[in-house]
Amino acid sequence: MSHSSSNPAGSNLKMGLPIPNSKLGMWLFLGTEIMFFTAFIGSYIVLRMGSKGWPSDPHVTHINVIAGGINTFVLIVSSYCVVVAHDAMVKKHFKTALKYLWITSALGLLFMGIKSFEYYGKFDHGILPGQIAENDWQAAQNAMTDFDEAVEYTGYSDMKLELASLELEVAGAEGSAKESMQAEIAELKESIAAIDPFANDVKKFKTFVKKEEWDFAGLTAEVSTLKESYPDQASHIHDPHVILYGNIFASTYFLMTGFHAIHVIVGLILFGMVLRQGSNLDETWTDWVENSGLYWHFVDLVWIFLFPLLYIVDFTS
Amino acid sequence: MAYRDTDHDDHSHGHVSYLVIFFALVIFTAISVIADIVHIPNNAVKTVIVMSVAVAKATCVLLFFMHIKFEGNWKYILLAPTTILAIGLPIALMPDVATSYYISDVPQKYDYDEFMASHGDHSEGHGEAEHGENGHEAGHGHEEGGDHNHHEGESDKHAEGDAHSKSEKEGSDSDAAESSDK
Repeated sequence: MSHSSSNPAGSNLKMGLPIPNSKLGMWLFLGTEIMFFTAFIGSYIVLRMGSKGWPSDPHVTHINVIAGGINTFVLIVSSYCVVVAHDAMVKKHFKTALKYLWITSALGLLFMGIKSFEYYGKFDHGILPGQIAENDWQAAQNAMTDFDEAVEYTGYSDMKLELASLELEVAGAEGSAKESMQAEIAELKESIAAIDPFANDVKKFKTFVKKEEWDFAGLTAEVSTLKESYPDQASHIHDPHVILYGNIFASTYFLMTGFHAIHVIVGLILFGMVLRQGSNLDETWTDWVENSGLYWHFVDLVWIFLFPLLYIVDFTS
Repeated sequence: MAYRDTDHDDHSHGHVSYLVIFFALVIFTAISVIADIVHIPNNAVKTVIVMSVAVAKATCVLLFFMHIKFEGNWKYILLAPTTILAIGLPIALMPDVATSYYISDVPQKYDYDEFMASHGDHSEGHGEAEHGENGHEAGHGHEEGGDHNHHEGESDKHAEGDAHSKSEKEGSDSDAAESSDK
């Protein structure tokens, strides 16, 4: 469509851009991705600047700058490997290209591994959008919910229901069936009695909270006492903590890093398609490698901005 | 629209050592991490350092790894609209949300002073017992300051949403606040 031979009288006009269609397509896509990420990063910046009291203490946010720094380093090395791989493809050194693409993919997986470790830390500390207490009353509500769940987890209410239905049944039973039911009833009563003190103390705690005569220190003390009295059932429960703007912090954090992680996975799939070729890799894949490289560099670029914005900067003066 | 020119990649690769760019990127990363670990007292300075490092790293990746330095003029046509939208839109939003041009009326704003008084700054290592006392004193000062009561009158609709958030549960001074809340 574009060769000069189709133009009149020896003109040397060439149409279009001097790059393959796929490369142009990838660049246009990256342009839209820039806008995509700018939307989230921009709203994070704007919201954070407007929120006096946004959590910035790493002990509260559980944001580890060393983990972030290592992730940045990992992505930079992987970008370098992609560039070397593409260079090798151009020079038709397909084995070298394959080797460097394997290293790139491995580094991408390492990035996801460190990210999962960071996410696990967040989940473990209850940092999830919509789950964080932003004032004392919400902290008390969280504590009540946690204790209720701890009681549920022991099977307390299930056992009580079973006991009730067995007691109804046993009245009409006879012989060996009746004996086995009575044995079961005795067992259930024993198990329920074992959990009764915990369940009753949780009820007392809830009454204490609802009377609203406590302050934060008092609430923390009550929770600690309850946890210490029942280490088996309650030791995993979080101490009450209040994070102002914690929920929007968690929202923006997971949105940005989550979308970035999805993009990393897509990049790994792109490389996977090349790696599948193995020894059959040939020059028809050069464009694919170049474009996947462009995509991967973009992912690195986004992380280069996410890292300082999430892990380092503080907008308070 | 675009065609494949088989000679197009000869003109560039000889001049750039990717390894040099890689080391530059590593050094820049190290600078950012150090800027955080070493406590720089002025947050604005830290932000400027760290964001300039980010821009420098982005430039290295964009120009050399992504090869933009050696591409034709189409790069301007492609990147101009995206850059304008990417930078222009947040700047357009900043006056509304990031600065205090409009009064932000969120529950956290009312909680902020009480929260800072009773929960304080963790990095200063306040104990929980101290928090309770500080909160108590701040609660007194806060109620009598008058600002809190001023807002209460105007924003009863917020009070319904989370009536408990304003009532500090410490002693009789808050009873007056509670009764006007409910």
